[in-house]
Amino acid sequence: MKQIILIAINFVREQRWPILVLLLWVLALAFLGLATDAGRQREDLLFVFKQVAVYVVAFSVFFGSSAIYNDRRSRRILSVLSKAIRRGQYLAGLVLGITLSCAIYCFALGLTGSWTLGEAGFPASQVWFLMLCLVAACALAGSVALTFSTFLNPFFAAGATAAVMALPAMISYTMGSAKWGYVVPVYQLAATVLKSSFEAPGTPEWLPIFVALAQAAGFLLLSVRIFSYADIAVSVE
Amino acid sequence: MSSVLEFENITKEYHSLLGRKRFRALDNFTLQVEKGEIFGFLGPNGAGKTTAIHLAMGFMRPTAGRGFMLGHRFGRYAARRGVGFLPENIALYPRSAETLVRFYGALNKMGGSQLTRRADEVLSMVGLQDDAKRNISRFSRGMLQRVGLAQALVNDPELLILDEPTSALDPVARVTVREILLAARNAGKTIFLSSHLLSEVELICDRVAVLHRGKLVRMGRTAELLQAGERAEIALRGLSPQVFPGAVLHHGLLTLSVPATEQRSTLERIWSLGGEVISVNPSRRSLEEIFLEATGGAAAPHVGPEP
Repeated sequence: MKQIILIAINFVREQRWPILVLLLWVLALAFLGLATDAGRQREDLLFVFKQVAVYVVAFSVFFGSSAIYNDRRSRRILSVLSKAIRRGQYLAGLVLGITLSCAIYCFALGLTGSWTLGEAGFPASQVWFLMLCLVAACALAGSVALTFSTFLNPFFAAGATAAVMALPAMISYTMGSAKWGYVVPVYQLAATVLKSSFEAPGTPEWLPIFVALAQAAGFLLLSVRIFSYADIAVSVE
Repeated sequence: MSSVLEFENITKEYHSLLGRKRFRALDNFTLQVEKGEIFGFLGPNGAGKTTAIHLAMGFMRPTAGRGFMLGHRFGRYAARRGVGFLPENIALYPRSAETLVRFYGALNKMGGSQLTRRADEVLSMVGLQDDAKRNISRFSRGMLQRVGLAQALVNDPELLILDEPTSALDPVARVTVREILLAARNAGKTIFLSSHLLSEVELICDRVAVLHRGKLVRMGRTAELLQAGERAEIALRGLSPQVFPGAVLHHGLLTLSVPATEQRSTLERIWSLGGEVISVNPSRRSLEEIFLEATGGAAAPHVGPEP
């Protein structure tokens, strides 16, 4: 476990500048929201909040699809995997690092969201549950992207991840079957955020979160299996 | 003596994306590195040295054959705990040298005061104690190489695998690295050293192997390989050049070169034929000459003298 945490912290540290930029962006939007008449433009404020919130899923896909590639291209992976660390621990560390990076963003968004939406008169108690939905969605999206990046370059890995995330949602929508929504439920979790009205208290739906975390673990196992056959000294192009 | 690193009939092929083009980097490669020796691994660029090292470290799988490192099959993580590895053109995360060495030590399950003490120790060993707190992104290539060596040494490894460890170092740092490696050998460690600096290899390696186009073309004890190449140059007068085919006549002196083992019999022959020996000069071949000979026209693999 120590090695997994070390890899995860190292990943967050490596991504500190993109994370900082994202945090400043969230902060800037929050100040912008407060500078306007929050009471009058409350619907616009809610719309912007939801949009900014679901972007984190895209960040997790970018992080996931490029994590291994960056380490292989720079050859830093050689000095890491020359130590007493399994490839599975390395990948688990990356998934944890991706999730942590997104959780930092969600935490900042939760803080500023509670603040600005509260000012606009929304009951902001649901914000933290929605942030949890997003963190779970990011863990799953990140692990799917990481799985594809074990054998594809980042561009194709991101594309394949988008397809895997969108396909079950599209089938669910066209067939009207709710069960398909639980297959890679990234869209379902993002939709929970996008459809949230904040008006009614509602009952938090925990099942998609647990399903997403279980599937993230499943994709991690799959990526470990594929990566165990990879020649890591040869970069994926 | 027991083997700490063993390659058994290993073949490694690289394929193009659709498998149409194949490149054989290692061809039925067999080698054993014994405990407590410094083993020099030589070969021209593209000979397959780095591929062999990457196979040993488990970064890739062989197409055929198998290998063992510290008693474990290649790729097993348990073996890597006792190994220190310095890759060629090392790339490290941009942190302070001290943080980095601790990070790599922690990955090897070290921790607490033991890791702090060891990190300080290895940074001093490579002469970076005064720069330990500086970010390595401001380091020169030679300093980076030394940080790389420090991270390889941090877990006090039984086996050190070094790919071009002195390539970016100045002569003073090179001497420091040489002393570190000799001290490690004296402490019972094994060192597998891939290098192009033949003079360095000649100075410190107990045994050497020369790899060419994925095949082992020379292997043996360094001293014996050098000794096997020793010759003697004999200058004489009073005999016709026809007596010794290959001899050169210059300003009335006949000069001939004979293997050191034939020096005595040649001198006796000169005297018996009535010739006068003017001088006898021993000429010792360098490792460079042996290397060039092995890689220049290596048609068939040849394994040199072994103890």
